[in-house]
Amino acid sequence: MRSILPADVRRRRVVGGLALVAVGTAVLTSCGSSEDGRSSAATSAASPRAAESGVLRPDRPLPKPRLVLTDENGDRFDLVERTKGRPTLLYFGYTHCPDVCPTTMADVANAVRTLPAAERTKFSVVFVTTDPARDKPKRLKDWLAAFDARFVGLTGDFASVRRAARTVGVSIEPPVKSADGGYTVSHGAEVLAFFPTDDKAHLIFTAGVPARQYAAALPEILKGGTA
Amino acid sequence: MRRLVPLVLACWAAVALTGCSGSTAGPRLTVTGAYVPQPPMADMAAGYLTIVNSGGVDDTLTGVTSAVAAEVTMHSTTDAGQMKAVAAFPIPAHGRLTFRVGANHLMLDGLKRLPQAGETVEFVLRFAKSGQIVVHAPVKPAGGTDQGM
Repeated sequence: MRSILPADVRRRRVVGGLALVAVGTAVLTSCGSSEDGRSSAATSAASPRAAESGVLRPDRPLPKPRLVLTDENGDRFDLVERTKGRPTLLYFGYTHCPDVCPTTMADVANAVRTLPAAERTKFSVVFVTTDPARDKPKRLKDWLAAFDARFVGLTGDFASVRRAARTVGVSIEPPVKSADGGYTVSHGAEVLAFFPTDDKAHLIFTAGVPARQYAAALPEILKGGTA
Repeated sequence: MRRLVPLVLACWAAVALTGCSGSTAGPRLTVTGAYVPQPPMADMAAGYLTIVNSGGVDDTLTGVTSAVAAEVTMHSTTDAGQMKAVAAFPIPAHGRLTFRVGANHLMLDGLKRLPQAGETVEFVLRFAKSGQIVVHAPVKPAGGTDQGM
């Protein structure tokens, strides 16, 4: 899993502005609080609260990425517009992924399933493919239906996906077809949770967070805070 | 408790084929914790297990096959979150080889049908020195460490 590297921040410096601040925040928060110790870089003095193992809370919540793609039904989907005011979970992955992607989606689905139906329908869960060449709408629809038919799957231009992912500190690489016919695709290592109150990501779940930890956080995400 | 079933099965398989007691000098392998998470679609799945070598000699996992899949390949996961096919994995003397979510994993391609939770998938593991070990991996509900919670 690619954690957010300082190199990404350097590359982004030309863009500047809010997005850079957001990425910088994600960089800092990804240090020293992952469950398995993968991100063992020195914890910064600016390290935010990270009481729950594997769940990061950036000091400055991250704005929702501007992303207009095609959804699992083949329709245009504007992420900012369509999920405005809704508690939203966002993940970047791909369907020809036997390991982390289905595990993450299953954990999210199992967590959402613990909510009463009325609350469950308020959530938007959005899966953005990092492998748009193979993940067409029909494929996304079939794959996501195995977890929860209400999950939204987005596909489209890889460059847009990558750009959007970077603004929330998720680094993905373009799919590469190797000489032996193999196919290398990357997926994000984080699920971002946006509050309905300000449409910003206040929680970042790192890969490997168990379903019960998602479930425990859902009421807070739903309300847009613990108060 | 869930871990007991695969452990017993794997050990039974190991006894049947290679002998768990293995008094001769050499690698002494047992397979534990094997499982297959129920995949979302019938085209691919992952398999996880741990191979423990309690013997004083190294061995190498050279390949895996399964009747349910056209092909089983072994993968590691790079720091960049990308899967990389690996032709063989060493199992050091008094060491272990672990396949788990987000790390080394078996990738089952070309599934003949979708394995359902409650069923069992048979793997044949081939080793450089220990021959073959047959493992019966239960299919579990999809998800991480607390599948289905």
